Amino acid sequence: MKIIETSRRKFLQGSVALCVYATSSFSSPIFTTKTSDKKVKDIPYLCNMCRNKCAGFARVENGTLTKLNPNQYFPKSRNMLCPKGNAGIQALYDSDRLKYPLIRIGERGDGRYKRVTWDEANEYIKDKLLKIIDEQKDNRSTVAYCNGEGFNKDEYIKFFGSKLGSANFLDEGSICLNTKLGATQLTIGDIGEMDVAGSDYMIISGANRYESLITPDSVDMIHAKQKLIVLDPRCTMTAIKADEYLPLHPGTDLAFCLSMIYIALKEELYDKAYVKKYFQDFDKLQKHILKNKYTAQWAEEKSHISAEKIERITREFFAASHPLYYLGRRSVWSANDFQLRRAMVLINALAGSINRKGGIIFGKPFRLKEEEITEPFYNNAEGRFDLDGIVYGSQKGGSWLNFREKVINQTAPYTVKVLFVRKHNIMQNMPNITKTKKMLTMMDLVVVLDTMPSDTAMMADVILPECTYLEREDMVVSFNRLEPSLALRNRVLAPLYESKTMQDILKGLGKKLSTPLFEISSKYDEDLQDAIKEQGKTKAFNEGGYNLAELYKDDISTRNKKLILTQFDENVYVSLKTKGVWHPYIENQKNLGNDLYEYYPEDKRFYTVQKKYKVNCFLKKLQKYGFDAMPTWHDRYDFKPAKDSFRVITGRYVTSTQTATTNNMMLKDMKETNRLWINAQVAKKLEIEEDDYVIVTSSVSSVVLQAYPTNKIAPQVVWFAHGFGATAQELTNAFGKGASDNMIIEDKFEKIYGCATMHETDVNIRKL
Amino acid sequence: MARYGMALDYKNCINCKACEVACKEENGVELGAEKHRIWVGGNNPEGQWPLLDIASAAFLPSQCQQCDEAPCEEVCPTHATYYDENGVVRVDADKCILCSYCMNACPYDARYVDDRTMTVDKCTFCSDTRLARGETTTACQNTCPTKVRTFGDLDDPNSEISELLRTREHFSLKSHLGTNPKLFYLT
Amino acid sequence: MNFIKKIIPMKDFTLRSLMQFEKTPLNMLMFVITIALLVAFGWGVVEYLVHSHHAYNITRQHPWGLLIAMYIFFVVSSTGLCIVGSLGDVFGFKDYMAMSKRAILGSIVTILAGFAVIAFEIGHPVRMLIYNVLSPGLTSAIWWMGTLYGIYLTFMIIEFIFLMRNDMKNARIFGLTGLLVGLAAHSNLGGVFGFLNARIISNGVFYPTYFILTAFITGIYLTYLMYGFRYKMQIPDDIKKGLLGLAKIQALLLGILMFFETWKLMTAVYGGMPGRADTAEHIFHSAGFLYGEVLCGMVIPFVVMLATKWQSIKLYVFTSFIGMIGIFFMRYDLVHDTQVKPLQMMKITEYQLPPTWIEYFPSAAEIAIGFGAIGIFFMLYYFGQKMFELDATEH
Repeated sequence: MKIIETSRRKFLQGSVALCVYATSSFSSPIFTTKTSDKKVKDIPYLCNMCRNKCAGFARVENGTLTKLNPNQYFPKSRNMLCPKGNAGIQALYDSDRLKYPLIRIGERGDGRYKRVTWDEANEYIKDKLLKIIDEQKDNRSTVAYCNGEGFNKDEYIKFFGSKLGSANFLDEGSICLNTKLGATQLTIGDIGEMDVAGSDYMIISGANRYESLITPDSVDMIHAKQKLIVLDPRCTMTAIKADEYLPLHPGTDLAFCLSMIYIALKEELYDKAYVKKYFQDFDKLQKHILKNKYTAQWAEEKSHISAEKIERITREFFAASHPLYYLGRRSVWSANDFQLRRAMVLINALAGSINRKGGIIFGKPFRLKEEEITEPFYNNAEGRFDLDGIVYGSQKGGSWLNFREKVINQTAPYTVKVLFVRKHNIMQNMPNITKTKKMLTMMDLVVVLDTMPSDTAMMADVILPECTYLEREDMVVSFNRLEPSLALRNRVLAPLYESKTMQDILKGLGKKLSTPLFEISSKYDEDLQDAIKEQGKTKAFNEGGYNLAELYKDDISTRNKKLILTQFDENVYVSLKTKGVWHPYIENQKNLGNDLYEYYPEDKRFYTVQKKYKVNCFLKKLQKYGFDAMPTWHDRYDFKPAKDSFRVITGRYVTSTQTATTNNMMLKDMKETNRLWINAQVAKKLEIEEDDYVIVTSSVSSVVLQAYPTNKIAPQVVWFAHGFGATAQELTNAFGKGASDNMIIEDKFEKIYGCATMHETDVNIRKL
Repeated sequence: MARYGMALDYKNCINCKACEVACKEENGVELGAEKHRIWVGGNNPEGQWPLLDIASAAFLPSQCQQCDEAPCEEVCPTHATYYDENGVVRVDADKCILCSYCMNACPYDARYVDDRTMTVDKCTFCSDTRLARGETTTACQNTCPTKVRTFGDLDDPNSEISELLRTREHFSLKSHLGTNPKLFYLT
Repeated sequence: MNFIKKIIPMKDFTLRSLMQFEKTPLNMLMFVITIALLVAFGWGVVEYLVHSHHAYNITRQHPWGLLIAMYIFFVVSSTGLCIVGSLGDVFGFKDYMAMSKRAILGSIVTILAGFAVIAFEIGHPVRMLIYNVLSPGLTSAIWWMGTLYGIYLTFMIIEFIFLMRNDMKNARIFGLTGLLVGLAAHSNLGGVFGFLNARIISNGVFYPTYFILTAFITGIYLTYLMYGFRYKMQIPDDIKKGLLGLAKIQALLLGILMFFETWKLMTAVYGGMPGRADTAEHIFHSAGFLYGEVLCGMVIPFVVMLATKWQSIKLYVFTSFIGMIGIFFMRYDLVHDTQVKPLQMMKITEYQLPPTWIEYFPSAAEIAIGFGAIGIFFMLYYFGQKMFELDATEH
């Protein structure tokens, strides 16, 4: 970063001058390091470019990472690496990376920071934090902390939650897929796993599996002999590759599902034996669906899919031997999302596609033991408040929008003064960015641990540079249920610059903070005062678990070895260190040809396991709180944007992971920016042509981007990809490219899981 | 000594660009829109929403077709373009005079100018990288999520590619030009 | 100097006399134009040396641009002047005997100008000289074209020497050989395009023959221009006869050319074959073709010659100027039209319009080098006139 001790203005002038020079003298070629013709020892690692964690082998030549290749031993990733996985090298060598600890010297967001040592950064955090916690009388929950998807999240929670004692943890779940997880958990008692490979008839609602790759689902879909039906207002790559594409109105998938249930019940297509054995309150469901007359004709009116097709597909679905209604995994669309996901689970259950091949399976994942730590008890730490008014909600990750709302409206029961942010670009990832900015400016201390100078990092008081996934070993992880395996992220290279692993960062903080924080507790906490009286300070500190860095006494390698050897054996450990993966059949994988493998033999896969569960049709708690206990359609769900306005929906490109990869020069080379998809005929009427700039205005704000008139989208719908429109100028590749969807998406959230509903914003479009 | 070829189960291509990135990373290919050794050609489905003809949308992974009768080799005035011992069409950068005749003669738009050497460059089937160190696949084949490509020795009757070509119908691009490509598109 | 003079008779000149010329308005104009063009050429070369091919607007889809067109323009001129020059000394047509020296000198300086252009178009010209010998690509039309033009230039110089020595026997031998090599080289240049299977619009026999035909036409246009300038329109009788004869030949050649072009377009469009018919129609609708090639290059000169019954030399000099503009468009268009149809018709990124026609417009550096080379031609021709006695002497 070039912003150290320089003003943003100066920096800008410099970069503008550079650009002009570059265009006048033709920029020199940009390229990556070619691999050599020499053999080298490949290092097994796990990818972290998205949530999948595919396995790969890294090629390091003369200390330089030159290539990432897929790992054939990992059942989950099926010997592949996607474009992002391949471009991981550029995440490591991104010249914009955060290289040193930085402390803000300018106004929040103006980009002026000074380079400091790790000790200075920790000291700065200590001083601020102690003052705040003292003022808050040891209410540890005044420190909120958040972490996006990824490894080490649990270790992070252990530090700030278990050890430091804050109740306010937030993660991506409430701006992602918590409704789906909750709906499955509450309906069949487990979040399960979808056996895409085993399904012979699959319906996908909106999930764009070929542009938002999920391993192994995306790979299996291509190879499985199955009929694929795709419902989407946008003709995605998944829709193009489907056997049948059903264009529908946004937010009306529930109508389609309800109609499927109606037809199944009316025509008695469902698996009667299964229903009898597992369903709870089936009679209520039956009565409710039939009474409401969710017929195909009714659904046609709502969804725009013809009644005849709905009927035919329902019949085909229930006649198939392994039908699967794919539950999807992505951000929440509309207020009916929880019941939509439940309807999908119920459809699978009605077909008997639970705990069996091709359905939602429970499987048998490896359960790794937790390392034990002592958790101190803080009497003055208050509970979380972001689930107030939410029926279920995730006790772990909470509800971001509700949290933010309460903080900025100052309606929370106590003030949150501190925010630790790790691997979570909150300035870009939740609707209505203006509010997030407001929330951050209300904090007394914002600390960001990240690899890149993201929009969020640029709002921090202290920036702590974390190393990338290629520069660290992480704790062993258990993957999957049908073909369970263990995988270990080995370190490919030592951390570059002054970056550190999260564990080392927290270890440093822990060393600095443990004793002074203990002192504050001893000032306010009567139980602790008693303990000190009884045991003496040292013993009370040690036995009470006040050493925040306790977990990081040993380094990850040592911890991994200990954990694996206690639970498994030497072979497993060696396999994890040399192949990065272990599963019971790793030595005898069958090559199916063309570098595809069979991992578990068919008869060893955990399609069906012994498990007691029920299918809950009726959720009493919901009824109690005044919500629908069963999937129900309400008129307010109808798709009716005002005349001349459009419903904006989002998604992403196969070449980007939310906002995390937009600065990656290789991925930028593949897809530089996002554009507004607008129906070609509508665009023609509005005289909007390809490349034209349009202004997209919602009730929240407006953005400008280029238009892409296409026949692949419904007339009253517009789409543009998430991940672009970064405002941090320090992201030299991403800055100024495209627009951010969350600038204009209204910050609404549903009340069952407190999830942001991303597809309920209507916008106006005007050509610039 | 082999005769390398590639079969592409192109209907499995989801245009994810993994191959393009892998190719650039492996071979140190320049970034930039014009500098690609491999690419995926695509078209939008025909028709108007909602009556879209999804079957009309095709995605064709493409690259140098490694012709047995390569027009680019024929027109090269200095033999900079040559067939290596494995039948791969290669460019000897030391001999290339950048007359660009090969770029004009190639029916597949598979050649481009490398700005570092100012010579013409193209797909090498990873001959100077992966194959040179004894690996048996190209970067694009290896990384492909849906394993569109099958790479192998056409002269070896027992190779996977030979078996595929015996059992699956296939076509070559612009075969009427008599270029005899060693890339085969499986139908 | 004397040694050189023993080989090739020259006028007596000093460095000073070479730089002196009669300051008539026309001469001054030519002087200024020549200097301007040379400066442009120099600037273009500097641009090229600094930025290499980035200074040009050539792309992956359109790798050949204005410089290839200008190279062709010059070598076609050279071949054309060689043909005109051969009429007298090789074929023995008395009326054209007096033109040989000037025409052969013209053919030498035009090809030198052409080489000056191609040196900055080929990425590695020195490497070309080396590997042309060490590693000859015998199946390559460019190799044959380049090699034959090299030999051709040698023969032209030898022929010129014998002409200057008034050794008509040897001049005839080398003239004939040079002409044959030149025709071979030139048709190979047509072959460079004609061999392109991938480019249906150019593939086939048309260009190799068309090149010879248009070379002759170009040669005649240039002869008019050279004599028009040499005698400031006061053409002496011994030349006049030849020039009037050339007009008849020119009209005939133009007639044949129009006939060829018509059938080329008709056969290309007929049947609607994709890649050929659409390209032909695209060409037919382009301004360069209609106004440049057809109007300037063929129709205007043809009509003028027909209307004046081959008697108005002064008018033909002006018409030849228009004709040369047409010839330029023929060269430019043949290069562009060959590449105008994309080889890859699918979209390779989502946000692009489906490929239609490849666009190209030369960059400033290309224009500077390409047209600047005309200055080289002027300069060399000027020095040639100063150094050698080009007008007919009794022999």
